[in-house]
Amino acid sequence: MSPTWSLALRRTALIAAIFAVWELATGGFGLGLQLWSPAIVARPSSALAELGPYAQSGLLWKDLSTTLTESMVGLILGIAGGGALGIVLGYQRPFAELFEPVLVSLNSLPRIAVAPILIPLFGLGIASKIALSFFTVFFVVFFNTYLGMRSVDPELVKVIQVMGGTRAHLARFVVLPSVFSWIFAALRTSVSFALTGAVVGEFVGSTAGLGYRLNLAAGLLDTKRVYLILLILMVFAVFLVEVAKRVEGRLLRWRPSAVLSN
Amino acid sequence: MSVTLAHVGIRYRAGVEVLRNVTLGIGHGEFVAIVGPSGCGKSTLLNAIAGLLDPADCEVSGRITVDDRVAQRSARRDMDLGFVFQRDALLPWRTIAENVEVGLVIRGVLGKERADRTRAMIQMAGLAGFEHYYPHQVSGGMRQRAALVRTLAYDPKTILMDEPFGALDAQNRMILQSELLRIWQLTPRTILFVTHDLAEAIILAQRVVVLSRRPGQIKGVYEIGLPYPRDAFELRGSLEFARLETTVWQALRDEFRAEAGKPS
Repeated sequence: MSPTWSLALRRTALIAAIFAVWELATGGFGLGLQLWSPAIVARPSSALAELGPYAQSGLLWKDLSTTLTESMVGLILGIAGGGALGIVLGYQRPFAELFEPVLVSLNSLPRIAVAPILIPLFGLGIASKIALSFFTVFFVVFFNTYLGMRSVDPELVKVIQVMGGTRAHLARFVVLPSVFSWIFAALRTSVSFALTGAVVGEFVGSTAGLGYRLNLAAGLLDTKRVYLILLILMVFAVFLVEVAKRVEGRLLRWRPSAVLSN
Repeated sequence: MSVTLAHVGIRYRAGVEVLRNVTLGIGHGEFVAIVGPSGCGKSTLLNAIAGLLDPADCEVSGRITVDDRVAQRSARRDMDLGFVFQRDALLPWRTIAENVEVGLVIRGVLGKERADRTRAMIQMAGLAGFEHYYPHQVSGGMRQRAALVRTLAYDPKTILMDEPFGALDAQNRMILQSELLRIWQLTPRTILFVTHDLAEAIILAQRVVVLSRRPGQIKGVYEIGLPYPRDAFELRGSLEFARLETTVWQALRDEFRAEAGKPS
């Protein structure tokens, strides 16, 4: 058996064991061992059984697509906005110095704490969730881009200058590729941040989405539904981060560490 | 004259004087090596010629011209220079072929001509089959070879080389010296080659300039009478080579010794 396969098998076994212990501790397998009441900690089998009704009602797809749209639009806008500001301030040091206290203050704010002010500004629809998702991603990308602009290798700049390259050549051959590598290195973090922003936004005020449904179920003490949605969110997040990892590996394939690290 | 230096002095704003009163003329197609102890300002001199020094950092006195143009930042394109760095300085996000063609893209060479020139350079450097590798995927010797032909590809009139083989192991260094000789004998261009390896300077150059320790001043200029075509491998160990090395070493020895006595 190849080492990869044996690791995959052992990992699957571990996950199965975690579920089995959980199932057992919540009164499963007919053994009557109940550490918590089902109203407090749901049994995994009964939480998963909720998937059927949730899917049949049509709400699952609606919630999934809502949360996906919010987090992806927020992610893309956040990367574009943070990247653009990072590049502009990287080129214009005096502006960077001027803006520094403002950006540092905004960044030090716990991102999700601004959720309550976004609802009146953008309403209960997806716009307010996109805004929160954007806000969480924006600063990660901005600071990475700005750092990337400052750590451009001066020797590579000289190479292009000696050849008689213009500022545009410098941007194309050295500055932008260097900065993009920093942006994409932050892609996985950005993806989880975007999802957090969308879900928390849904908690605060919404009409659809996984976070909304989760909050609703918690209010109704529907523990099984709460656990089901948490499981869905976990799978969803793992999937998105995996996609981000692939994208990053592809875009940064020139980098020795891009393949090795995870 | 291809490169002229008239009473050139360089002083960093922080107060350190790195170069003092250097006067030197390098003819078209001439191969000149500059040797000197570490910190004697030889690399700074190359940067000054290429217009790469930041006027905010240091002050250059005297006059530097390349093809009768005063060396400065704004004249970079007109000076038609090539620069080979000690570290290969390949763009890590571009493949070997994409690196070799960068200068051609900047000079506006298009389409088929660019592709042909790039291919020819890759052939010359013995890098065929590695065109689509990224720099981190090939050896240090191959990277430095790619950096060399990246400079040759756009055919600059004058090439400045800053210890280009300094980071290589002894074997690769000899191979690349031999290749550089072969290429220069094929199409002579002006080369100003900075090194701290005296043997390398003698094997390659027509003239060797010895700089003193900081502030660097010209201590001597030696004509290397060895005829071309030269064979880098044959020369080492020959009597002529040993005689020249002894002569130039007299001048260099004291500078190295003085540096050795100083805490670095």
